[in-house]
Amino acid sequence: MFDQQLTRERGSSMAFGLPAVSVAIALLVVSPLFWIVLRASQVDPVRALSLVASAQTATILGNSVALMALVTVFSVVIGVPMAVLTTRTDLPYRRFWTVAGSLPLVVPSYIGAFAFVAAFGRHGEFGRLFGIPLPQIDGFSGAVLIITLYTYPYVFLSARAALLSMDASLISAARTLNRTPLQAFREVTVPQITPAVGAGALLVALYAISDFGTPAFMGVEVFTSAIYWEYGAFNVEYAALLSLQLLAVTAVVLLIEARIGQDDGGPGGSGGETIRLGRWRWPAAGTMALVAVVTLLVPVVIFARWALRGAGTEMPSLAFDLEYAVNSVYLSALAALVAAGFALPVGYLSARSDGVVGRLAERATYVGFAVPGIVIGLALVFLGSQYVPWIYRTVPLLVFAYVVRFLPQVVGSTRSAVLQVDDRLLEAARTLDEDSMGAFRRVTLPLIAPGVVAGTMLVFLTSMKELPATLMLQPIGMETLATIIWSAHSTLYYRYAALPALILVVVSGLSMLIVLTQEDTYDS
Amino acid sequence: MPSHSPDDRPGSTTRRNLLAAGAGLAITGLAGCLGDSGASDTDDSGEPWGDALESSAVSWDDLGDLEGDLTVYSGRKRSQIDPLFQQLEEAYPDLTINRDYDDNARQLNKLREEGDASPADVFYTQSSGALANLKQDDLLRDLPADIVEAVPADKSDPDGTWTGASGRVRAVQFNTETFEAVDLPTDIFEYAEDERFQGIISTRPNSGTFQSFIVAMLELEGEQATREWVRAMVDDQDATLYSSGSAQAEAIEAGENQVGLGNQYYAARILNNDPEANLGVTFTENDPGTLFNVSGVGIPESTGKFGLAAEFTRHVLAAEGQEFFVDVNGEYPVVEGVEYVGAMPPLSDLETPDFDLNALADVERAVDLLREEGMTV
Repeated sequence: MFDQQLTRERGSSMAFGLPAVSVAIALLVVSPLFWIVLRASQVDPVRALSLVASAQTATILGNSVALMALVTVFSVVIGVPMAVLTTRTDLPYRRFWTVAGSLPLVVPSYIGAFAFVAAFGRHGEFGRLFGIPLPQIDGFSGAVLIITLYTYPYVFLSARAALLSMDASLISAARTLNRTPLQAFREVTVPQITPAVGAGALLVALYAISDFGTPAFMGVEVFTSAIYWEYGAFNVEYAALLSLQLLAVTAVVLLIEARIGQDDGGPGGSGGETIRLGRWRWPAAGTMALVAVVTLLVPVVIFARWALRGAGTEMPSLAFDLEYAVNSVYLSALAALVAAGFALPVGYLSARSDGVVGRLAERATYVGFAVPGIVIGLALVFLGSQYVPWIYRTVPLLVFAYVVRFLPQVVGSTRSAVLQVDDRLLEAARTLDEDSMGAFRRVTLPLIAPGVVAGTMLVFLTSMKELPATLMLQPIGMETLATIIWSAHSTLYYRYAALPALILVVVSGLSMLIVLTQEDTYDS
Repeated sequence: MPSHSPDDRPGSTTRRNLLAAGAGLAITGLAGCLGDSGASDTDDSGEPWGDALESSAVSWDDLGDLEGDLTVYSGRKRSQIDPLFQQLEEAYPDLTINRDYDDNARQLNKLREEGDASPADVFYTQSSGALANLKQDDLLRDLPADIVEAVPADKSDPDGTWTGASGRVRAVQFNTETFEAVDLPTDIFEYAEDERFQGIISTRPNSGTFQSFIVAMLELEGEQATREWVRAMVDDQDATLYSSGSAQAEAIEAGENQVGLGNQYYAARILNNDPEANLGVTFTENDPGTLFNVSGVGIPESTGKFGLAAEFTRHVLAAEGQEFFVDVNGEYPVVEGVEYVGAMPPLSDLETPDFDLNALADVERAVDLLREEGMTV
């Protein structure tokens, strides 16, 4: 009888409104696809065929998939142990390591890549500073290293969230059955956290395939390189065709992750024994320190170097204006709020419903994350100027671009949070005569708030560092930190890039701290 | 007071002339009531608001006063052009220039996607290939006659749909600790053949001006020679391929490479930051390696402010505008009467090839060739 009531409750919350809203949102954020298909259909078939069938395309496909796969694997290899170390062990200064381990996400990839090469190249700063020749960081391995280091926090954070919220009494149960800690980990913990790790790894994979800055800097030819190349030759149609190829790969990745993501979630848990590290403490701390130093200190040192590179001409046009920071924060905050609003129905539906609609709508939100910003930008230039010209090159359209790009970060965390909510709590709410909207507001919402807020902050900090779509859609004259850094950096006026870069990283860092405070509410 | 008599535009009908005359008289009358600043920014005739341009540079004092809102899509970087905009806004308090800065190719693609809905009044490009591309599809308005005549045909479009504003020459950058200028060949083909340059040479294939250089080579030397040059650079010389001009120049200065084919701009920036830097610049002679290219101005069909855009263009081509390019950017002027004074040799000393810049519109051929021979990033 209890089950029947649950099914009924589920049925009524699946009122027509929720799927319709989710579908509408999904269609809205997938709209750039319409432009991509339109342009791709305008290619000259002969040239298109020679392009698709060329050896270069095979190379690009191979590089992109390999880059994506390796970055994902290494992110898991780094992120999961770090998550275990900071949640389940007696590692000293756990809070500090948690913060340090999450912060690499705030650094834009083009700055990360540049900083590494500037620091570690044969003629890099660190080489000059310490007088020893350091290994060159470039090429495919360099790209894998850098993208991994600046995206593993996605896995780190999602694994942490899963570890903090899983029922650790299951582990104690396994231990009583004479399992060693390692066996308990493998047999109990891993299945519990796999869906969350999969969600984090999905973000890593799609980030890797949509990134332009790092592969370009490292000289690795991937899809984004080819897309930019075609844009540079004014061949928008061929760039669109390449985008479709990239989306085909993305679809495969989304399918794979959907399999891994099959989970029932579980009621929130607590406790569980702490693993004592003993003499492994200091090597563990040392490794964390190495990763943190390398990913965070290197860019900061390079910023300092930029600031100190005095001399040269004054360029008042590049002088810092507080307005740039205000614009960045304003746009990113709006994007975060709108994304949260979109994510609630989509994430909720996909978690509570077994239907195709819910799942499809959730998957659709990942399309924008996999497509390079330059493609989304140009798509919205077309759609905006032709169909909604009154908001073309205004704040709403730019905010929408950010939402299209970064929505899955908050959809994923919303979905995970909803899965954690105990059905029995909702049932209890119903017996108090709440309708489903009321039950949602008074029971579900407070419970999922931490997860939603965490995802929202991720949208905020990724919007802060966005560049290509911003350059195309920004209200004319409205500069952001990212666009000013680009203007200064690309014309070798480095000292004008230092302050905006530092502010960008600090403000985004603060938003990351908010993400981390949300985790506290899991332990209850 | 500027006159608005019907001009002799090709294809204009008597009816249009009459309407223009009527409008012109009305505007003239209104202007007479408002003061002596001349036409409003919605003037569509393109007639000079002050003096017309001449073959020798005029001064801003002789030109009309700029007023109103002008939206400029710039493929040039902020540091390269914004000071000129600021100078104009200071000279004309009633003028507001709305600047949009983006990469040159992205600006062009954006303009095309916007079509008639584009807010751009002026398209200021980094190099002429983009303008030639727009001209091909009739997306630019014909410039007024005095502007077309003021700039020589090899620095602008002879048909008058766009004009150069300042010029640069493709250069060979080198590390001064390894080479001296006299050591280096003056024939671009030698760079692909001489063993000295194996493993120490670099290019930047995604650069618009590099691709223009390949187009020029195709036009001037033919496909076979061009293909062989590219192949040799990739296979025999093992050239390092950069996607960033600043990275390429810095690598040469640091000694990672010793020679690079690129823009004089980044070398000049590095030397400006550090006069002791190990960077030098030299030129080939009479071949595509020393191609003269311009950054220039076109007025999109979609603009509603043709008159203001045209007068703005006159200011760019006047003495103060041209001097800005020489002094601040180290670029060559395109109008007579302004002298180049700077670290680079005067243009008359360089042997740049004869080349119609409009041919640069056909960049697809060059890009495909680069891709087929493996010179991509």
